[in-house]
Formats: sequence, structure tokens, C-alpha cells
Amino acid sequence: MRPFRRRGDRVVAGLTDAESAVVTLLLDQLEQLLAEDAPAEDPVVARLFPAGHATDAEAARDYRELTGAALRQGKVDDLATVRATLPADGGDVALAEDQARAWLRTTNDLRLALGTRLGITADVDHEGSTSQEMTVYSWLTAVQGSLVDALVAGGGRRR
Amino acid sequence: MTRVAAPLAPEMTPGTVVREESELDRPWVTIVWDDPVNLMTYVTFVLQELFGYDEATATELMLQVHHEGKAIVSSGPRERMEHDTSRLHAYGLWASYQRDS
Repeated sequence: MRPFRRRGDRVVAGLTDAESAVVTLLLDQLEQLLAEDAPAEDPVVARLFPAGHATDAEAARDYRELTGAALRQGKVDDLATVRATLPADGGDVALAEDQARAWLRTTNDLRLALGTRLGITADVDHEGSTSQEMTVYSWLTAVQGSLVDALVAGGGRRR
Repeated sequence: MTRVAAPLAPEMTPGTVVREESELDRPWVTIVWDDPVNLMTYVTFVLQELFGYDEATATELMLQVHHEGKAIVSSGPRERMEHDTSRLHAYGLWASYQRDS
């Protein structure tokens, strides 16, 4: 992976064909978790769609009815944007501002999903871990981190 | 600080109205909770992006989340706090709204 850097009005990174294949696989898995029939008790689904109110079940239910569909649709749209801008056989990922937001949110969802499955906690040092999932998690962290840095460097916040 | 007006204005259920009238003076708040996955730079970026905070303010709030486990990132009417919470959820931050305590 060549990390994201600002290039004019775009942020650009480079992926190998193997990295593109991994992202495609992860997107397929995430898509299933975003489906309306995904089990709500799945810890990853619960993390992607958190309770709006921490202690009031009625308020949490109201919140879910009010915002759940739009939240799900937003994540589905973001995922579609990532798919459309991902080079299937590796190569440059060149993103406009809106596309970069979609990548930010989707890579974060992928990290939340993997992090939840891996039981990531703040207190554990994961640097020494060599599992394949942890390798992917660390790679996604590098991708997302460089994307944030590239957007900040460009003063890319919309007002 | 600038903020984007919330277009989302949910209809109040009768039960909600009763609760609102009994405690009108206390505002609602949106809270971001600490999360072991979300990157610190990402949280700072999102707080700037969604609420228009300058970098110093957003960084301060992010560090409060990191060190104290949570921070209030916005306050106001319930409907706006619901909206703010959903905007934070769209970015994958762990957030919820509640009456200010």
C-alpha cells in the first residue's frame, strides 16, 4: 500500500492486487452485516448500529425507528462508493472529497467489525499479534490513518 | 462555533411530551464514549467535520473522551441531539444522547 496523499483536489493511494482482493472480500462481509435481516444480536451489528440512548429503552427504540433506515442506507451507499472506486486488480485509488468521506466511514466500519470480532481493547498491546485478521486490521488502520492525515493536510473540511 | 441546522424534526409522541414538560429546564446533550477502535486523529477530524469545532477544541474533546471515557460534544433540544447522535453513528463513533445530568 502506498498511503493516501493529497494530489490537487484528490487524495490518492496505491493498492496491490492482493490488497484490492482483500478489501473486496471485506466489503462482501460488511454488506451482509448491513442487510436488513442481519441479526441485531450480533455484536458487530450492535456496534455498527448503537443504541441512541444508553439507559432509556423506550428512547432507544424511538431513536432506532427514527434514524435506523437512514443510517443503514448511508452505510450501504458508502460501501457502494468504495466498491466503485476500488481498482479491481490493484492500482491507484483517487478520491474526490465526498468519495474520501465514504472511504473514511467504510474503512472505519470495517475496523469496527474486525475489532469487535477480535475483541480489541485499549489495554492490550496488539503489536506482537500475528493472526491474519490482526494483520488486516493493522493494515486498515494504516489506510484510514493516512486518509485522515491527507484530508487534514489539505484543509479538506467542508463548511 | 458554527453548526449545521438539524433538518430532522421528529414528531413527539404523547409520552415524550409529558416527560419534556416535567423537566423543561434541563437541556439534552450528545455524548461521545471512549472506544478502543476509533483512531484519535479520526475522532478529532469527525468532531471538526460535524460540529465545526476548531482543531484545538476538537482535540480537547477527543482527549477528554480518551482519558475520562466520555465527553459532551453538543447540547440543545432533544430532536437535535438525536440528529447529532445519528450523524456521529454514521461515522462509527460510539455516541448517545440523554438529558443533561
